[in-house]
Amino acid sequence: MALKDVKPTRSELIALKKRIALSERGYKILKMKRDGLIIEFFKILEQAKDSRGMLGERYKKAQEMMAVANTVEGAIGVKTAAFSVQEVPDISLSSKNIMGVVVPEIEASKVKKGLIDRGYGLLGTTSVIDETASAFEDLVEAIIESAEIESTMKKLLDEIESTKRRVNALEFKVIPELTEARDFIKMRLDEMERDELSRLKKIKAHSG
Amino acid sequence: MEISVIGSSEFILGFRLAGIRNTYAAVTEEDLVHIITRVLDDGITGILVLESRDMNRVPLRLQATLENSVKPTVIAIGAEEGGMSLRERIKRSVGVDLWK
Repeated sequence: MALKDVKPTRSELIALKKRIALSERGYKILKMKRDGLIIEFFKILEQAKDSRGMLGERYKKAQEMMAVANTVEGAIGVKTAAFSVQEVPDISLSSKNIMGVVVPEIEASKVKKGLIDRGYGLLGTTSVIDETASAFEDLVEAIIESAEIESTMKKLLDEIESTKRRVNALEFKVIPELTEARDFIKMRLDEMERDELSRLKKIKAHSG
Repeated sequence: MEISVIGSSEFILGFRLAGIRNTYAAVTEEDLVHIITRVLDDGITGILVLESRDMNRVPLRLQATLENSVKPTVIAIGAEEGGMSLRERIKRSVGVDLWK
């Protein structure tokens, strides 16, 4: 708000005081929200680090198993088994609310499968294929867990960023400008009052 | 909601063994960009799995879209890159590097 646009009237002063009070209340609430979000973020951060670590380990193991399977069964054998798998992991998505931020909750079923459920023939393949499939099923489980945690983190980070921006805008832009306008009106009103007083004194001196 | 996997044929083979049907083999950069864009817009993919190596091959603009995407959530595996993008975001949002 530029000072030249401010009308130095009493009603404007009252309106400004109300706006300042509202902005200060909003500022305090948003600051509390930001702090709350950061606390929630800290809780999820540890989980995210753990799940990333686990994901890395399982990926490494799955790759090793795949290399072994390729050696034992040959590329064609592994491909035949892979393309015979019928059971598809079932993933459902729901949501939960963390301090006003809607975050996804991912539930998965049929990721880990029994030997018979996988769909490839047991007689034509060796146990290496089973172990490889099992390693990749573990990896998919880790991916699902990571996806839930990381998308929660991304959403929380977005909300923290926008709340921080709002808090900063109120603290460094809105409230100082409103305060400046309020002080300006106060000064102008005082000045007008002094003008009026000296004018009255002059009139009184002339009439006396 | 489904899981989609994009990458080299060796990368996606293991996921087929785990029962994931939406696997797409991409060899060239053009293929990769084309398939990723298609999967991002298909509306049924909830989790998109990529190899970190491939993540670095796509144009920066698409990389940023993938890093910020929530549905589908993009998981890059194979190196620390997946964590690195989050690390940058944490630094930007919180102001401190907490991913150590």
